[in-house]
Amino acid sequence: MNSFSALIPLLIIVFASLCIMILEAFLKKENKDYLAYISIIFLVVCGFFLVRAWNKDFSYFNGNLFLDNLSLFFSFIFLITTFLVILISMKYISLQGVNCGEYYSLLLLALSGMLIMVSSGDLLVIFLGLEVLSISSYSLAGLRRKEEKSSEAAIKYFLLGCFASAFLVYGIALLYGATYSTDIALIINHFQSGEGLGLMALIGLGMVVIGFGFKIAVVPFHMWTPDVYEGAPTPITAFFSVGPKAVGFAVLLRVLYPYLKNVQDSSQAIFLLLCIISVLTMVVGNLIALRQTNLKRILAYSSIAHAGYLLIAILAQDNASLVFYLTVYIFMNIGAFAAVIALGKKDKEYLELEDYAGIGFKYPWIGATFSVFLFSLAGFPPTGGFLAKFYIFSAAVRQDLVPLVIIGVLASLISVFYYLRIIVYMYMKEPSYEVDINIDNPGLFLVLFLCLYGVLQLGIFPGNVLILIKQAVTALL
Amino acid sequence: MNIPVLSIITFLPLAGAILLIFIHKDRKELIRYVALGVVLITFLVSLTLYFNFNAQTSDPQFVEKGAWIGYGINYHIGIDGISLFLVLLTTFLMPIIILSSWTYIQKRVKEYLIFMLILETGIIGVFVSLNLFLFYVFWEAMLIPMYFLIGVWGGRRRIYATIKYVLFTMFGSLLMLVAIFVLYSIFYKATGTYSFNIFDYYKIILNPQVQVWLFLAFALAFAIKVPMFPFHTWLPDAHVEAPTAGSVILAAVLLKMGAYGFLRFAIPLFPDALEKFLPVLVILCLIGIIYGGLMALIQKDVKSLVAYSSVSHMGLIMLAIFALNVEALEGAIYQMLSHGLSTGALFLCVGVLYERAHTRLIKDYGGVSKQMPVFSAFFLIFMLSSIGLPGLNGFVGEVLCIFGVFKTSKILAILGVTTVILAAAYLLWMFQRVMQGPIENEKIFSFKDLNKREIIYFVPIVIMVFWMGIYPKPFLRKMDASVTHLINQVKKKGAVFTRVQKEENIPSVVDIKKIGDKETNKKKDANKEKEEEVK
Repeated sequence: MNSFSALIPLLIIVFASLCIMILEAFLKKENKDYLAYISIIFLVVCGFFLVRAWNKDFSYFNGNLFLDNLSLFFSFIFLITTFLVILISMKYISLQGVNCGEYYSLLLLALSGMLIMVSSGDLLVIFLGLEVLSISSYSLAGLRRKEEKSSEAAIKYFLLGCFASAFLVYGIALLYGATYSTDIALIINHFQSGEGLGLMALIGLGMVVIGFGFKIAVVPFHMWTPDVYEGAPTPITAFFSVGPKAVGFAVLLRVLYPYLKNVQDSSQAIFLLLCIISVLTMVVGNLIALRQTNLKRILAYSSIAHAGYLLIAILAQDNASLVFYLTVYIFMNIGAFAAVIALGKKDKEYLELEDYAGIGFKYPWIGATFSVFLFSLAGFPPTGGFLAKFYIFSAAVRQDLVPLVIIGVLASLISVFYYLRIIVYMYMKEPSYEVDINIDNPGLFLVLFLCLYGVLQLGIFPGNVLILIKQAVTALL
Repeated sequence: MNIPVLSIITFLPLAGAILLIFIHKDRKELIRYVALGVVLITFLVSLTLYFNFNAQTSDPQFVEKGAWIGYGINYHIGIDGISLFLVLLTTFLMPIIILSSWTYIQKRVKEYLIFMLILETGIIGVFVSLNLFLFYVFWEAMLIPMYFLIGVWGGRRRIYATIKYVLFTMFGSLLMLVAIFVLYSIFYKATGTYSFNIFDYYKIILNPQVQVWLFLAFALAFAIKVPMFPFHTWLPDAHVEAPTAGSVILAAVLLKMGAYGFLRFAIPLFPDALEKFLPVLVILCLIGIIYGGLMALIQKDVKSLVAYSSVSHMGLIMLAIFALNVEALEGAIYQMLSHGLSTGALFLCVGVLYERAHTRLIKDYGGVSKQMPVFSAFFLIFMLSSIGLPGLNGFVGEVLCIFGVFKTSKILAILGVTTVILAAAYLLWMFQRVMQGPIENEKIFSFKDLNKREIIYFVPIVIMVFWMGIYPKPFLRKMDASVTHLINQVKKKGAVFTRVQKEENIPSVVDIKKIGDKETNKKKDANKEKEEEVK
């Protein structure tokens, strides 16, 4: 249905972002928390409109921007992501001295970029959204201005991100040259009807995959990830580890799913490319994580490895399992980062494994919830992480990708080691020095609780969410 | 009236664990009593299973079925003659285990008991699940509490031991998970419906080529758990480093899960592959029996001695399972129970000693029986029951096992008997060095004999040891139907399969029903031909 309603959620978020930027100038330093509350209010309003648009299929700008169920579902989980990230940021930014008004403004701007990306089927519009997301991400990474690592992160992210964007644009250009269109559906149609896939189109598609490969951090395009994750403010790291990744996969799903499904005979090259990337990502990500001692870097490599599992879902052409995995992943990863943030006080973050010795018994709630997130990331039942992996792997087996699945489970066996090592420190080692933390942080504990609830609910009773996801992915068929 | 007894037994401990979370951690006595109460109630409820169990049928009983996630993932539980006793063994030992760690665990009592209770839920869940997905969930989830129990309350090298335990077990079970997926997708492609129900899987006959791989994956997971040689290396580490209660539960129940997995899944699902690998498996069992026994002989540490004795005993149990006849299987299940009791009790005895001397080395002891006559009597009984003295539980199981194996192969039976001989050697020698002789270590003079609490938890085991040794009928008769059914199932499947194989190129999956139809059709065709000939 052609309706202005398709624009409303996006406009709300952009308006909120600008609003906060202006308000910031008039607020006193002590009152900056209000900005967080205002953002949350806008998020709730936007969420309301998203829920209302379910099953309505609004579109605008000649169908270049639309809200089908898939984009609604993704938009909604991005809202949740941003909501959780704002909650974990509130105390953090005042404790770590990054309390500037642009913080929330940039975060919302990044969100609006993500909303654009999931609500379009046109590669150029998607690129537009990607740039909005990327540019705000670069600035967010460098917000800890006094820290060298933070600036390094921003520069690194910026340079490599630009490269990736260039690849993407070039890929889009080649695709346009080969098919005379930037609309995904038309491109796929062209492939189907035409004389198959020319070399130019193949290279173009490969470059699009590479461009998004940077965003979702798959090996060998992952080099920026650990440094950026380490340098950025921790809540922003949490945001990076789920937001851009999820949006990257959402777009890849839109591009690759119809392609793999319909252009079977000539899709071998791309299929093979994705297989290799997936295996490399799982193995390399998990193996390097074994040697890390910094929590943020461990989680960075773990998020790389998870991209590998997610690629299996794309290869298995099972959209529901991909979306489910992303949903679970958001809760468990933000939860894990929230637990890392919980261990901090004024101008000090505890990020080394050593710092975690004995935490499990000293702060039982933080320890227990963090353990649940880690078990979920490692894929133990009865958490959501298990069920998510279960769906992906079983879908892949149904598509006769058994070798890939075997590599996948063995890679996740490797991951068990480093996830459990964190728990070993928390529960099985005696602390050699005192770690005292600021536990007056209600927003953070709310996030821990919500994520715990999400991980367990999705692990034990995922029924309703699965039904929603089923409805959402029918948009692709 | 329809009370979900099985669900109550499974989830009552979990409910207890949740209850414990809300008790303040300094009220240790209260926490202990609550935990004990919960497991005692669970045990009492589980007794109703025994009394209401219908021994005449091989169908699962106390079945509960409910929709859960969909796509074949249902909540489906029930027990038959095989799992009944394993559930009872678990619920019976749990109060004893909690009593045994009453004073031994002083630090972090609350967390300890929470994990114990969660563990009980996990173990019972494994034994009652009739849905492969549910089974896998319990099978994996159970690792988490065990990981903490060894890792937090264990000995000096506990972290190494616990990670080794988790990684070994997961390696096997993740490959089994892949096999489960393959089975699931084969079933889906053949019938068009999703199912994880094991009874559905029992009905299908798989291509032997596929069976081989699936069997290997399942067998690896279970063989690691049992553990069969050469996958046993995690066991001594885990046993030695685990706290007493952890060792008891590991030896008494967790190892049985591997054997149970063979009985419930690997053997009935893949009979042809089993036949193919039987020689290898049997040889591994024999190596396990002899190697375990010999290793036990040279151990300096009491606990690792008992641990290696488990390897040896489980070898015999697995040997009997692979003999695949009624006597042997009943013997194997019976021996699983009695090994659970006697080895569990031996670990408790070691725990009693350790609590007093804080050492597990055999050379630090000697002459303990002079200071602890009551304890000495108990220890003697458990040791003899583990050796298999007639009149005690071990004897019945071992004799049945060996009878059964003898029916299949005399040489195997003769080699299998070495378990008993070696057990006598290492256990008697250990008893002599620890309990008898002059007292050389001065610490031993300060040893106090068993207190009331310790006697309370030893007495039920002693009663069971004698009961199972003298009058095994109430146990064996309940198993008959299920065991016979299992054997028939394997044989029938094999027979059907060879017939199918001769006729045609087989697809990857064959439905029994379809085969039946085909045969009747063929008969009809033959009859028609005959009729035509007559005409």
